[in-house]
Amino acid sequence: MPCNSKRSTLLRFGLAILLATLLVAAASAQSQPQANLVERWNRMSPEERERELAKLPPERARQIRLGIQRYNQLPPEEQQALRERYQTFSRLPPEKQQIIRDRLREFRQLPLERRPIVHREVEQLRLLTEAQRQARFDGAEFRSRFTPQEQQIIRDVSTYLPK
Amino acid sequence: MGVAAAATLDLDAELMLRVKDGDAASFGVLLEKHRVPVTRFVYRLVQEQAVSEELAQEVFLRVYRSRSSYEPTAKFKTWLFRIASHLALNWLRDEKHERGQERLDDLSTDLPARQITDRRPSVEQELLYEVKLKEIRRAVAELPDKQRAAVLMHKYEEMEYTQIAKVLGCSESAVKSLLFRAYVTLRARLAHMGIT
Amino acid sequence: MNCPIKTRNLELLVDFAAGGLNPETASALERHLAGCDACRSMAADQTAVWKALDAWEAPPVSPGFDRRLYRRIDEVARFSWWERLTRAFRRMPLSQAVPLTASAGLLLMAGLLLHRPGRIPPVASRGEVVRANQVERTLDDLELLRQFGTADSKESAHSDAM
Repeated sequence: MPCNSKRSTLLRFGLAILLATLLVAAASAQSQPQANLVERWNRMSPEERERELAKLPPERARQIRLGIQRYNQLPPEEQQALRERYQTFSRLPPEKQQIIRDRLREFRQLPLERRPIVHREVEQLRLLTEAQRQARFDGAEFRSRFTPQEQQIIRDVSTYLPK
Repeated sequence: MGVAAAATLDLDAELMLRVKDGDAASFGVLLEKHRVPVTRFVYRLVQEQAVSEELAQEVFLRVYRSRSSYEPTAKFKTWLFRIASHLALNWLRDEKHERGQERLDDLSTDLPARQITDRRPSVEQELLYEVKLKEIRRAVAELPDKQRAAVLMHKYEEMEYTQIAKVLGCSESAVKSLLFRAYVTLRARLAHMGIT
Repeated sequence: MNCPIKTRNLELLVDFAAGGLNPETASALERHLAGCDACRSMAADQTAVWKALDAWEAPPVSPGFDRRLYRRIDEVARFSWWERLTRAFRRMPLSQAVPLTASAGLLLMAGLLLHRPGRIPPVASRGEVVRANQVERTLDDLELLRQFGTADSKESAHSDAM
């Protein structure tokens, strides 16, 4: 029936356009990390910033100023990478953000010489599928190379903070 | 300083507006600030620790779920405690239907550990203290629910009459009436105790 | 000062027991209490009640409180996202839904092709104000991520000093 055939072609065409649109939108959104709170803070006027800082105890305000300065002075590539990493993090649900926060704080407490080792393990595991990751966690080698605390850090960060 | 004080008057409401805008970190700040007061308030109302934490979580869950429709028509703390009172009083009402008087007899559990001081009390003093504490809890538990809620907000949260009135959805004079009737009862039960 | 009991101003005595009166009013009341047995007795009883209630400590919040809460939030978010997604499509017949989404898709496509995403503008949009304590939290998170991200590099030892 000609009428139905024309209609179904139109519907298929419409669906194809919608799909293409969604793909373009997703690609566009991913290529530009959205401004995080520090960047939005930087956009405020100096008077507004000082007004906000005045609401906090002086030492906290000083630490915030230092932190902003450190962030702003990062080399561009490093800042860009950090921005993208933060964007991934901030898109996680609150519970997972808290898990990551806890693990990263524990990571910070590890002995200096252990940190690159743990970090490298996480970076390698992030490239694997979930099944491959799990197989590695279950293996004797993983358990023998890392302490229980390190294992937990590696497990959670590689699972919840994707590349 | 006055300007700064006014500006921070309801910082919590501003934080909640940030949560409305999608800022999860602000929700964390609010949780950090109000977790203990809300849980303590609910605990003293329902006097069961596990239940109080469950209900307190429900309070914050409702805060989070209603973020998109949040409007700062009252102080944030008022709104928060309105949710907490509502949930806790509903739970008490439902419990009464189920358990009746039994609950009041069961207040010996969930007693928090007493803080150890330098002057270690004797066993008798310790026992006497536990007996008095149980009497305090019982006296509060036997107050009508709204009187109890009003006393807890007045005593432990140091809320003013107007704020308590907004939480309970009644007039200021009704709150005063609730409180004074409650205190008459409590004076009769507790004034002789001489807790130190 | 007029007698609080006779003038039915009992909140004075309650506030006195709670230590909530300003010094001037408290002094005036104390002078009255010296000469009024009824008020003195009630104030003493109310003070005793206050001390008794002070002794009642609530147990500490358990360590897993936040974790359990966030898990519940997560579950709710997952469920309501699906609800919202499917609700709009449930009521609409397919013959209406598909052309509607196709038209919306065409408009979106046109918008994206015309829009050129550029640098983030330097001026604050709509007079936006970020709170200092919010940016503090973001800085903490950024620092954690930065330290983790640079753990392999030679500078990672220096980052500890921060």
